[in-house]
Amino acid sequence: MKLFSTQIVVPVDSNSVLQGALEVKHVLEEMIGTYNLGSQVSVVETGALGIYDQGVVLAVFPDDVYYGGVKPVDVQEIVTEHLLKGRVVSRLVIDRNLSNRRLVEKETGKSQQKIVLRNAGLIDPQSIDEYIARDGYGALAKALAMQPGEVIQILTDSKLQGRGGAGFPTGLKWGMVAKEQSDEKYIVCNADEGEPGTFKDRLILEGDPHSIVEAMTIAGYATGAHVGIAYVRGEYFMSIARLKKAIKDATEYGLLGKDVLGTGFQFDIEVYRGGGAYVCGEEFALLESIENRRGEPRNKPPFPPQQGLFGKPTVVNNVETFANVPPILLNGSDWFKSFGTPSSAGTKVFSLSGDIVNRGIVEAPLGVTLRELIYDFGGGVKGGKHIGFIQTGGSAGTVLTDKFLDVPLDFASMKTNNVSIGSGVILVASEDVPLLPFLAEVAHFFWHESCGKCTPCREGTLQVKTIMDTLVNRTADPASLQRLGKLLNTLNDTSFCGLGQAAPLAFESALRNFPEAFDRALAESHVPEACQEEG
Amino acid sequence: MELDNVTRPAGQAQPLSDEDKRFLGELVETNRTEHHGRVSYMDIMFELEHHYGNSLPGEVLGEVARLVGAPASQLNGFVTFYTMLSTEPRGQHVIRVCTSGPCHVTGAPSIVSELKRLLGVELGETTSDGMFTLEASSCLGICGVSPALMIDDDAYGNLTSGDLPRILAAKRVGGAQ
Repeated sequence: MKLFSTQIVVPVDSNSVLQGALEVKHVLEEMIGTYNLGSQVSVVETGALGIYDQGVVLAVFPDDVYYGGVKPVDVQEIVTEHLLKGRVVSRLVIDRNLSNRRLVEKETGKSQQKIVLRNAGLIDPQSIDEYIARDGYGALAKALAMQPGEVIQILTDSKLQGRGGAGFPTGLKWGMVAKEQSDEKYIVCNADEGEPGTFKDRLILEGDPHSIVEAMTIAGYATGAHVGIAYVRGEYFMSIARLKKAIKDATEYGLLGKDVLGTGFQFDIEVYRGGGAYVCGEEFALLESIENRRGEPRNKPPFPPQQGLFGKPTVVNNVETFANVPPILLNGSDWFKSFGTPSSAGTKVFSLSGDIVNRGIVEAPLGVTLRELIYDFGGGVKGGKHIGFIQTGGSAGTVLTDKFLDVPLDFASMKTNNVSIGSGVILVASEDVPLLPFLAEVAHFFWHESCGKCTPCREGTLQVKTIMDTLVNRTADPASLQRLGKLLNTLNDTSFCGLGQAAPLAFESALRNFPEAFDRALAESHVPEACQEEG
Repeated sequence: MELDNVTRPAGQAQPLSDEDKRFLGELVETNRTEHHGRVSYMDIMFELEHHYGNSLPGEVLGEVARLVGAPASQLNGFVTFYTMLSTEPRGQHVIRVCTSGPCHVTGAPSIVSELKRLLGVELGETTSDGMFTLEASSCLGICGVSPALMIDDDAYGNLTSGDLPRILAAKRVGGAQ
């Protein structure tokens, strides 16, 4: 391996490419050639650093200098000033703490260990060697030397809970599949990330695809499965390409295939694509989709660990859940529990979006507050404005006032404080954004994404949308809020799957936290005459 | 096995050429190999949309149904479920503009109305020159750079209304693939 005295890291992911990262990288490589620095400076393409509102970012190591808003014309100055003369180009420097590299350190004061994003922004995601150099596949080797039951025990002890939104204990799920007697079992990675405001799985897959390959293989060994399937959103072209390359490289290295690491254990992974259906994030709808059917949920029980894909026992885990597995096996369950809260171990990757200064992904220990996420890491509301409302957990999540800023976010916070964490969405709207049109859009979303299988969801989401539209247009009739409340209860109580059951969350919480917005809309409403005659 | 009465206006259906049939046969077999003896309809449908101009002709679906040994009704049920797939003819470029929460908060409504104005179409419609189909989309997963849209496989972020003419013009020029 060649050694370089300086390393320049260029984050190349779906977001940074949109801002011109590839052009900057190209010019940088040319300049390094022009100034004959090729033997001393290496340019490393990496996954997301988690900084989005600073344009194209370059990080120079070991100097630990971060440049932001870099345009191709700036590159020559960086090369001649910084690389040749050692003078930092101060006009382009940004606060390195914007990078989520240091967030865990800042939060716990214990360690700068990032868990899920341990490699994102540090390694070339397309290089299996760089992954291996950072202890990659070490956890797989360790697992293969243990009994499957021991692997599951470590996960159970770690208290890892599913990161897709439901928070089901991962060790328990794996144990259920392991004890099923079946000729075939499956490991499925749910990468059909569709919850509005969530983009963490995309960045994990783009930034560290091998971590998912390794974790799925470990899951296969622990549960006795030989086939893994990653179901990735159809729009995630870069995620799909990088994951496919990771699978190919791992197979060539003997880390997948008929004889994993020479132990005789067989495991293969295939990639399936989604087709733009939010409901396919529901585990049974996802399995139906892999089976070439419409993505409609199945009745539960039996649950996927008993009868999942093709009717066989199946583990379905979210991308972020899998990404936690290798570090837990390497460092032990006590280490993992040292992060987070008593009810919720480890970290969570949050997606910050909306009217926030530093939009992007942030990994912080569970128990972090909205205030820390929005102000410390997110840099506050754009333009120094006040918060109008915050939606946490996604469209199927709670709408909150700034009174909730100090609630610790973990898997218990829904029960204790009515704050959902879901997939880790933090969507901030400034005081300028009117609430009701936003909620009407959320209602439209659920109406559009309802699969139509069950009546409460198919018809209920339409009625919620209709009522929200009349509130926005100020044509709501006086009884509409009562009807809305009843409708939301019905949706929650009687919908067939999680989509319909969770759809009311945004509206219920908004009614509770912003009653004045609804009351005002009602007071200003005039029911059109045509409707009065009909009604 | 013909689906033309279901998926396309009568008169547009054309019998498949031998070349079409050979293409479809190879496509299904390649996919079967990749998935260890199974097939993925989704993979096949994405390939077909690329090949047949962003929509899935009924006669093509009929042939694929025959090749995979499934009832044509099952394929039709499948393709009409997923929003990325279309049995209706679409333009040369499909614009999918995100209207979900994060994009809504940061200006998607004005992006949508400006696109409608520039293209002279409503959501779900195709421009009269057959160049663009405008569709509203649920979250595209690039909320870090909202408001955002995708044209075909390319994503565009941090949009302002002023960016749109340039983006459309570039696609128009790149036009005929």
